[in-house]
Amino acid sequence: MSLFNSMSVSASGMSAQRFRTELLAQNIANSETTRTEEGGPYRHQDAVFQSAPVTHPFSSAFQSSLDAPNSGVAVSEVQIDDREPIRRYLPGHPDADDKGYVAFPNFSPIEEMVDLMGASRSFGANVTAMNAVKDMISKSIDLLRG
Amino acid sequence: MFDPISGRMSHYLDLLAERQKLVSANIANADTPGFRTRDIDFNFEFQSLMSGQQPGVIEPEGLSTKNDGNNVNIDREMRLLSENAMRFNFVSQLLRGEARDFRLAIKDARG
Repeated sequence: MSLFNSMSVSASGMSAQRFRTELLAQNIANSETTRTEEGGPYRHQDAVFQSAPVTHPFSSAFQSSLDAPNSGVAVSEVQIDDREPIRRYLPGHPDADDKGYVAFPNFSPIEEMVDLMGASRSFGANVTAMNAVKDMISKSIDLLRG
Repeated sequence: MFDPISGRMSHYLDLLAERQKLVSANIANADTPGFRTRDIDFNFEFQSLMSGQQPGVIEPEGLSTKNDGNNVNIDREMRLLSENAMRFNFVSQLLRGEARDFRLAIKDARG
């Protein structure tokens, strides 16, 4: 049914935004990390969104022309930043090179905070959409109740 | 359903449900690069749905496109979201009244 499908669409938006929020939190937490398993400082990660079909248990049986493909959203890839790290002169640091410079991640946690606000607002917009649809479904059920 | 008018009303609700799905999709894709806003021409589709056709999806014009090729205007979508919900609420109330009348008539006939 179309209204239940709308809820799946909003749910896909919520999970994509939540994933983005996790990456942003990870970036903020690692904004001063100089050592990673891959070697070198932490690299900034960002989610790339792509519209995608929603999966719904009944979708195959009740597809209409409007259940156009790609109405939901999914994370298509995680983009890892390849900017050169910032070098700071910290001779006492255990990760300092022979000249005393330490490589730090090259991104600003403030930008991450702004993106985090955007992601949380988008999440909220999806929640509002889902609530509106939920309300419509309960109104339809009320029709039966009389 | 019961008569031509309630038949129209249920078509109207169908169309609102379809539109709400497109609005949800637009909101979900507000941060998707290259995504174009999708909508249905409500008045036109209401006429053609009456004659049994499936509604078609259009791309509304006059929306500004961001640098990443996405043209979702979140304010427009939120407005449509609540407008659709209100219309749905209104028409389903009407339909409910109609159903109640029928139920009353059946009850009375039973005596």
